[in-house]
Amino acid sequence: MTVLELQQVKKTFGSGRTQVDALKETDFQANEKELIAIIGPSGSGKSTFLTIVGGLLSPSSGEVILNGQPISNMNERERSQIRLREIGFVLQASNLVPFLTVDKQMKLLDQVKKGNMDNAELEQLYEDLGIGELRKKYPADLSGGERQRVAIAKALYTNPSIILADEPTASLDSDRAYEVMELLKHETKSKGTTTIVVTHDIRLTDYCDKVYKMTDGVLTLEGNENR
Amino acid sequence: MFLAWNEIVKNKLRFTLITGVLLLVAYLVFFLSGLATGLKNLNREAVDNWKADAVVLTDESDKSLYQSSLTLDQAKEVKADKKAVLGQMSAIANNGKKKTNVSLFGIRPEEFLMPSISEGNPFGEENEVVADASLKEDGFKVGDELSISSTDIKLKITGFMEASRFNASPVLYMDLDTLNRVKYGEAVEANKDRINAVIIRGEQQEIADDSLEVIETETFIKNLPGYTEQNLTLTFMIYFLFIISSVIVAIFLYVLTVQKISMFGVMKAQGISSFYLSRSVIAQTFLLAFVGVAIGLVLTLVTGAFLPAAVPVSFDIPTMLVYGAVLVVVAIAGAVFSVLTIVRIDPLKAIGG
Repeated sequence: MTVLELQQVKKTFGSGRTQVDALKETDFQANEKELIAIIGPSGSGKSTFLTIVGGLLSPSSGEVILNGQPISNMNERERSQIRLREIGFVLQASNLVPFLTVDKQMKLLDQVKKGNMDNAELEQLYEDLGIGELRKKYPADLSGGERQRVAIAKALYTNPSIILADEPTASLDSDRAYEVMELLKHETKSKGTTTIVVTHDIRLTDYCDKVYKMTDGVLTLEGNENR
Repeated sequence: MFLAWNEIVKNKLRFTLITGVLLLVAYLVFFLSGLATGLKNLNREAVDNWKADAVVLTDESDKSLYQSSLTLDQAKEVKADKKAVLGQMSAIANNGKKKTNVSLFGIRPEEFLMPSISEGNPFGEENEVVADASLKEDGFKVGDELSISSTDIKLKITGFMEASRFNASPVLYMDLDTLNRVKYGEAVEANKDRINAVIIRGEQQEIADDSLEVIETETFIKNLPGYTEQNLTLTFMIYFLFIISSVIVAIFLYVLTVQKISMFGVMKAQGISSFYLSRSVIAQTFLLAFVGVAIGLVLTLVTGAFLPAAVPVSFDIPTMLVYGAVLVVVAIAGAVFSVLTIVRIDPLKAIGG
């Protein structure tokens, strides 16, 4: 089932001689249970792609359809709701609130959104991610890998249909990076979500179902599930 | 409140310092308010005890009791539900051990200005007086013979009354005749029907005498020398403290918010609304301000209990509660800058887009 679709999406910054086509006309589809990697050098348009998909940036033209719902022309309030309900973010620097324990990171999401995981599901998530022992700890007390695992838990806790991960392993050593990718793959398959990982680390693409390459704003499919 | 409270719990020292600053501002505001009330009372409590509606003075006195001089015949022209004549002079009283400024009030014992006695007896004979109880703290007691500046007449204290100071001086109440003998000395015969004012309770009728002016009691008090200026000074200090506390809170919270821009941006990217985050900052400010003000209030009252009686502090709890509420409100107003900052945070920048 198609979760995300981009139709002729284009993003331009500036105008006239200073105009930059950060994302040229792009068609893209992501399905349920797919782990997709977007690779490419810095400045190639990866982050622009991710922020448009995440409803943080409006495309200059074209349409982004998330679960059958066009989101490009929504106002900020509506997009904020979409992000809360449908999208989980895992960022390069961990997206944790520094003064909340791991447990309270999840409770914060209960404060702003109802219908998240129940206790049993949360316990299972903690177990899957191996963070059950960390629930009373603050982010500052966690290692980089632990922080990213908690960030993944936080992204999954709201039962999103899509997870967007922007360089989720950039601050980790190789072993921790593979561990995080393994977790993302496992959660994508077991929870039935769609995960898009933006990375410049080509070794991580081994975990992905599809790999796209972004070069100067052009997105091309490099490989698929037959990889 | 969830976010606000958890941040406070995790960063106790930081928020204790902010609360401490608010506490000190509140303490200063409450103390100044107590001082303002105390100084007001120092000037007006004798007049308040009259429970009068108006004071009749001569027109040319420009609303000053000290400068007003009328006759008992003129006083008869004043028609009112209840009226009482009042003679007044300022002097230095000396009981042989201590000299002090006093205000001498001459009245007719049968009229309503006759004070209630808290200790001793009312004056009855000539040269007898009842004194304001504050004189007891200076060593004055019932039976003391007082020398009065500018006269050889000795006045004897027969009793004390509570809270009777006028224009910052303790009052000695006496018979009008006694006052006039003290006031005019050898010229008393020529001035024995002289008084300073007629005090009115209830509705007053038209006064035919154009040389007299009816002044409402509050206006009379406001025209006491230095009274309005003193009040305005203290009131302005309190109002400036409100502004200062708002600015202090604004600066503190703004710095805290700027430090958290990245965190707020990430939270907004995750779909947590600006409204929720702003509400959290407001709740946090309310909590800090409320605790600071509450402790400031208690601390002020405790301090007041240990102050010497010479310090003119009087705590009016309803006024202090109003000032406390204003402090909380201005602190919240100071959080508006932070709220605007949060609203303007672009989540895109926070995640490095």
